[in-house]
Amino acid sequence: MPFDDDNDNPTLTPSFPSSSTSSPSADPLLQPDEDEDEDEDDDAPSHNFLLFKKQPNISAQTIRKGEKDFESHGTLLQSSALEASRNAMQEVLSYSRVHASSGATVKGWYFPDRWKDYVESKDPEGKSWGHFRDRVVILDGSNTSTQNLGRAVVGQKKGTPGRGKDWLLPEDALYLVERGSMELWWPRGGLETVFPGGEEPKEGEEDEYAKGVPVSLQGAYALLIGGEGERGKISLRRFQVYSNLKRCGYLVVRAPPRTIEEKMLEEGRRGLWEWLSSTVAGWTERKPAAFGPLVKPGLYRSYAQIYRQMALIPRHKPLSVEKREEMKDPFGIHYIVWKSAHKWSKLRQPPPDFYLSVVDAQETMVPQLGEISGLIAATPPAGPKPEWTGPGRIYARLKHGHRNALIAVVDHGVINYMRFAEAAFGEENVTARFDYRKRVGGPKHGGWRGGKEVMAICQLEQIYNYVI
Amino acid sequence: MTETKKARISRVGGDKYLVFDIEDVMSIRRNHGICAVLTGTMPQNPTQNLFLGLPIELRAEEVKLLVDAGAAYVVDELAEHLTAFGKSREEQQKYLDEVKEKRVLAQRAYDEEKERIRLLHIDKVMAAKKNKEKRKKDGEVGEESSLFSEEQQEQEQEVVKKEKPLPGITPTTSENLVAGMSHVDAVVEVPDHPFYPFYKKMNSRGYFTTPGLRFGGDYSVYPGDPFRFHAHYLANAYGWNEEIPMLDLVTSGRLGTAVKKSFLFGSEQPAPTPEDEGDVRMFCVEWAGM
Repeated sequence: MPFDDDNDNPTLTPSFPSSSTSSPSADPLLQPDEDEDEDEDDDAPSHNFLLFKKQPNISAQTIRKGEKDFESHGTLLQSSALEASRNAMQEVLSYSRVHASSGATVKGWYFPDRWKDYVESKDPEGKSWGHFRDRVVILDGSNTSTQNLGRAVVGQKKGTPGRGKDWLLPEDALYLVERGSMELWWPRGGLETVFPGGEEPKEGEEDEYAKGVPVSLQGAYALLIGGEGERGKISLRRFQVYSNLKRCGYLVVRAPPRTIEEKMLEEGRRGLWEWLSSTVAGWTERKPAAFGPLVKPGLYRSYAQIYRQMALIPRHKPLSVEKREEMKDPFGIHYIVWKSAHKWSKLRQPPPDFYLSVVDAQETMVPQLGEISGLIAATPPAGPKPEWTGPGRIYARLKHGHRNALIAVVDHGVINYMRFAEAAFGEENVTARFDYRKRVGGPKHGGWRGGKEVMAICQLEQIYNYVI
Repeated sequence: MTETKKARISRVGGDKYLVFDIEDVMSIRRNHGICAVLTGTMPQNPTQNLFLGLPIELRAEEVKLLVDAGAAYVVDELAEHLTAFGKSREEQQKYLDEVKEKRVLAQRAYDEEKERIRLLHIDKVMAAKKNKEKRKKDGEVGEESSLFSEEQQEQEQEVVKKEKPLPGITPTTSENLVAGMSHVDAVVEVPDHPFYPFYKKMNSRGYFTTPGLRFGGDYSVYPGDPFRFHAHYLANAYGWNEEIPMLDLVTSGRLGTAVKKSFLFGSEQPAPTPEDEGDVRMFCVEWAGM
């Protein structure tokens, strides 16, 4: 490091002795605003309640101003810029979540075991899967953030406390707490104390904490984050992916368990004929002779006839039929995702835009063929768009594939999304274009005399024949 | 500065380590060179992914470093909270008081902000009133009654406001709820991490690290706080006797060059006795333009 002599200033050395007794702010030179800060400290409450103010203009630039440097050059300018960034970060993150008193505040009550024995069956009315066993927070009140979240459990007797209220999954509840849209409460009694039947008594200030305790953000994480696949919890990495997508504006829903996707299977049965015929077609295809020329000598009028004889390796043919391959952990479909759309209801969802699997960056290996094909088989056929026709869109078609799944790789809070698709090169018949070109032919199109070339190939084959 | 308080690291979901207290976050960033990753939604600005909020997620080796340095302790947050919530109301009073106090402060902030905005627009309001009065003088019929009812509405609103309950608050930490609980009981041992010696060496040299996923290594290594500097290296840790395929060096070296970083790799030479610390050797690969 240049200018390293100035070692008595702890902020200018890049090491961080844990026994350091002086904080960077101890140096008055680094803190031109020191006086102002102290003034605020004297008047502690006024300093504190600034932390409840929402500052609407916060952006990444508030915290990181200007260009980054290549390395530390020990100047005051540099250290004060860093200090400013850190102070800005501290200020921004010191904010407490306030729930406006106007209107009904949205509260969630944590009842982890209410539905733990609930047996969910496939809904006959075609409603989406509810995951009711995992729903642990009952929602009281609503606002714009809660409108697409939560499901009511039907079939409760009249007079049951909390009947008709929506229940949230742990990730929904934690996300709402985190964005400051819901208060999470720990109840002191059962559901009946929180939702007594009949007219609710007007809440006095004194009674407020009789029913329960407001849970902090830390408490919400403690209660709602759990291991992978734990009932009534969400794993941290899945939650990070969920909230990342939610912040981007996507609609994210837990994927239904694999075993109940009978609807998809029914659709698959319709495609059974297609599957049968495709296998039959495979059998009837001509098998090349064990020896001799690949392309039989003869007179050929089109390329297609030749290329058909040269097709030795069986090609992958994507089927619209359900393949029923097993998904292998950790590669399973965990979330289904929609781009934000107007026509979306939590009960009747349109076909999802994406199928998402969440894996850990450090613990997971690149998926094996069995794993990836199991994952992709779990998604419905999603072929290229019908308007992508013609030779110009061949790469768009190949890239898009016939089924696809997204894998979100999480490394300690940093997320990377990847898309795996089932590509079918065999479906792209490039050789047909050669014949087409021949017909259009003409020097301007760069077309050679197709017929001549066909002959040439035949001659080559004949020579080959003689050699053998 | 007086003796700094130990940072509280919450272990959730079995093997994830989070820090919620902003004071702790700043102190480990300032004094221990650990910036970790902000992972939470920012309540002030919840529809963006550029700058995130609390909590921060620490790597296991960062946790071990802090605990070994005596700067932090790890708590099984679920067990701690279940005990705390199960307590009587009297025992929770300190926490409830804190929440109450914050609610009053929030109301004050809210009122002040409202007053500020009112003052900001007072000229316009006055002008509008004057206008109305002028029109009233001009003898327009109907204005009088509407003006009267507006005033009445304002009065009514004020009455309603007084009865309004305080705004709710979600505190960021449960500090006062779990305060005084025997931390020793809940303190969790941090398991050894194979990369720990490698990480510790980098940290002791003043380098900051973030997860390597962005650039394709185990770590991205910064020469100082990432607020001010770009990453210089993408780093991989290996075992001392682990064979490193030549191809790894080539791919990682090339990858590093592509993202304008050099590729750093290193390992710990096992110490002769378990008490000693092993020596960590590091190498740096850069593409030579020959």
